[in-house]
Amino acid sequence: MSSRRSRSRQSSSSRITDEQINDLVSKLQALLPEAGIRSNERVSAARVLQDTCSYIRNLHREVDDLSERLSELLATTDASSAQAAIIRSLLM
Amino acid sequence: MISSSSSSSAPSSSSASASRIKLRPGPPTQARNKWRTGAQERIYGRRLVEALRSSRAGRSAAAGGARAVKEAADSALALTARGQSRWSRAILFGRFRRRKLLLKAGGKVRRRRRARPAGKFAALPHPPAALKGKKVRDRLRVLARLVPGCRKLSAPSLLEEAADYLAALEMQVKAMRTLADALSAAALSPPSPPPPAAAAPEPEN
Repeated sequence: MSSRRSRSRQSSSSRITDEQINDLVSKLQALLPEAGIRSNERVSAARVLQDTCSYIRNLHREVDDLSERLSELLATTDASSAQAAIIRSLLM
Repeated sequence: MISSSSSSSAPSSSSASASRIKLRPGPPTQARNKWRTGAQERIYGRRLVEALRSSRAGRSAAAGGARAVKEAADSALALTARGQSRWSRAILFGRFRRRKLLLKAGGKVRRRRRARPAGKFAALPHPPAALKGKKVRDRLRVLARLVPGCRKLSAPSLLEEAADYLAALEMQVKAMRTLADALSAAALSPPSPPPPAAAAPEPEN
């Protein structure tokens, strides 16, 4: 894995086109929760990146909250109903 | 989703991009589709349960328990990604290295295992015009900190990883919430009576 990283650093000769970058940025924008509200052309790359960062931070926070909740639930629920609940949620 | 534009631009630039970015045939739009499938969520759910069981996160309901749950969830997520993305590999190998560090340092090690100061975007060669400007570079740096294992990536790779990571996180939240809801529902409903053993009398009044 480290060799791949150094290789990418050395081969700076090949150019990445603007079009590719814009493509990736717009795809990232499409993943954001407000993708349907805004049209694609008007949003700047900086804005997309900022929204992406805040969205990832929100998701991290949700994961933390859910981890809290899960750890409490796992500690207090008895084993049999927990197993049943887990199986139920996996089959959904 | 914006899939039509990608197919038109791919043939002309594929020769230039193939050597550099290795753009996979699936554009980042596929990231969401890949993580949105019920199959991925079920696979993740199973891995999550396995990880939770083995980490005994529920036993210690203190703050330590929540962190163990989060680590189990992240590891399960990285496993479900099958190591195909840089962030997932970073999570998997990061756990391994961190455990070693923990053993050495005695427990008070934060997540900063980056010995190399990644202050500048040293790995980013001649960014194209769309990504010039201080604002964009700053945001890219912040993004690189948020996505695990991506601090020294070039802009296009970082964007790709971020898209995949974002979709994966969404799925993680969804799966964890489903599990938590199911557990809460089970906790609220009265526990089912144990099946009648051979010697135990049945209180059927």
